[in-house]
Amino acid sequence: MEFGIFTIGDVTTDPTDGTTVSEHQRIKNTVELAKKAEEVGLDVFATGQHHNPPFVAPANPPVLLGNIAAQTSTLELSTATTLITTTDPVRIAEDYSYAQHLSDGRISLIMGRGNTGPVYPWFGKDIRAGIPLAVENYNLLYRLWREKNLDWEGKFRTPLNGFTVTPTPLDEVPPFVWHGSIRSPEIAEQAAYYGDGFFHNNIFWPTSHTARMVQLYRQRYEYYGHGKASQAIVGLGGQVFMRKNSQDAVREFRPYFDNAPVYGHGPSLEDFSTQTPLTVGSPQQVIERTLSFRDWAGDYQRQLFLIDHAGLPQKTVLEQLDLLGEEVIPVLREEFAKGRPADVPDAPTHASLVARHQEGRDPIPGGGEGSRAFEDRQARAAEAAKEGADQA
Amino acid sequence: MSTKAMNIVAVTTSLSEDSTTLKLTDRILASAASAGESVSIDVSAEVINIRNHATALTDMTLTGFRSEELEAAFATIAAADAIVTVAPVYKAAPVGLHTLFWQLMDDKALSRKPVLIASTGGTARHSLAGDAVLRPMLSYLKGIVVPTTVFAATDDWGTVEGGRALTARIRQAGEELVSLTATIIGAGDDDLAEAADLDSRASAGSGATPGAAANRGIVDEFDPANVTPFAQLLEG
Repeated sequence: MEFGIFTIGDVTTDPTDGTTVSEHQRIKNTVELAKKAEEVGLDVFATGQHHNPPFVAPANPPVLLGNIAAQTSTLELSTATTLITTTDPVRIAEDYSYAQHLSDGRISLIMGRGNTGPVYPWFGKDIRAGIPLAVENYNLLYRLWREKNLDWEGKFRTPLNGFTVTPTPLDEVPPFVWHGSIRSPEIAEQAAYYGDGFFHNNIFWPTSHTARMVQLYRQRYEYYGHGKASQAIVGLGGQVFMRKNSQDAVREFRPYFDNAPVYGHGPSLEDFSTQTPLTVGSPQQVIERTLSFRDWAGDYQRQLFLIDHAGLPQKTVLEQLDLLGEEVIPVLREEFAKGRPADVPDAPTHASLVARHQEGRDPIPGGGEGSRAFEDRQARAAEAAKEGADQA
Repeated sequence: MSTKAMNIVAVTTSLSEDSTTLKLTDRILASAASAGESVSIDVSAEVINIRNHATALTDMTLTGFRSEELEAAFATIAAADAIVTVAPVYKAAPVGLHTLFWQLMDDKALSRKPVLIASTGGTARHSLAGDAVLRPMLSYLKGIVVPTTVFAATDDWGTVEGGRALTARIRQAGEELVSLTATIIGAGDDDLAEAADLDSRASAGSGATPGAAANRGIVDEFDPANVTPFAQLLEG
């Protein structure tokens, strides 16, 4: 199981002193966080993709990830998320491939559709086509990473004739892809179809809802024959603020919570903590809360924490990383390993994906022979043939 | 096939204890119960007071986040056979807290549900406010609003004529609500039940969700059995 942090790069005024970091500083701070994440023993750093203030998450994440790759050696570099709707799949294929080479295979992606309506028209797209864009664009990306001299034609992009991505993915194995969605069953279905991972960023959602999305993905993953439902690749979000003493954590975090751009001036910190995964308290409380995710999500592969938003000073955020690295993650690793069935896979790495590829065990989109999806297709084809024969 | 039970949920914004809004709610529910009784339908009723969800509604507006209590209220609506909405009128519109509840509800949440609109206000000048504001909103949610709406002004509680007229209107609206609901769910021994759409009731219910959402023709989109196969999405 891998643990990490994810950021959306918000530039938010610190409500306790009225100061706002510059974009330049926020960007440099982000790089510092990623380096520190590796130092304290985290596995993953993930960045959002943004095109609008107050966010300085990169418009093209490989720019940031490439820079971090050069200053780290083991850290897995991910997105959270890559906008599959408004970014040209050809550029995604090329840019992430390139970053994968630079980082020696430490790149992975979480696909997302984007959260603000205006972004779509900026790139000539229509938000109402969000799902069809995600479906078509990812299908093209999937093929670009696996086929040479590709001929392709779709609804949303100029056709391609004999196109080959450069560079091709490292060791002919594309970066691992997670599909992220809060409440679109189509995206859980998409992740299951390809045998990719499913990431639910549950930080604003009640457990009951997240559990249903995860179950949907797991069951469809099994249907498509990529493994048992319990073996599907699941990732979750989390949001924490810690001090040794939980009252100190609450006191210090409350003004940030009360004024945060997303939920500020709304629910109380206490209500929000009950209803969402937000945990403000001691490292032990964060450990207990995070371990409880397994009760409803099953054994999972990736846990990302949001720690650097709402105007929190960099010094404070770095202290959060220290607490995560020293007190939280080591215990989580140990506890999550207990009782984890041997056949539940770890989070995919480049090495594990290369091995899988060389053994000819790559997932077959839509389900290969022996899967229920395959059997259903056979049955439908037989039925259609019979109908055709009857008509003739 | 006649079912003998009907569940009506009243969504009421009663801002004080013993408000006229609550009184009107009780009278409408009593009238619906007696309309049901006359055609051998056992009408049960629940009241959701929006006042109790005021904070949760504001929170949801700001964050998109539904509290558990609000989820429970939405689930109660989903499980209802019919709805009564009752709210005081402020400045020629039902009070904003009340409309907010409907505005935060999922699209199609009232699909195949008859709805009765009722309002309270100081004078009869406000009497069309419920119709003007709520009828389009409830139709947007795919509710079937019955023709008669009920409005109770202060006078209606104090004068003999006003009281009679209000009682007659409540009875009329209650009958409309019950007979339309009976038609839709195929309940009662009324001839109307013949017209009921039994197929849609029989075919629903494959969903894993507890509650009656499934029998209202609402598809549970998170049930693996209802998911659109990806190959179909790929074909566009």
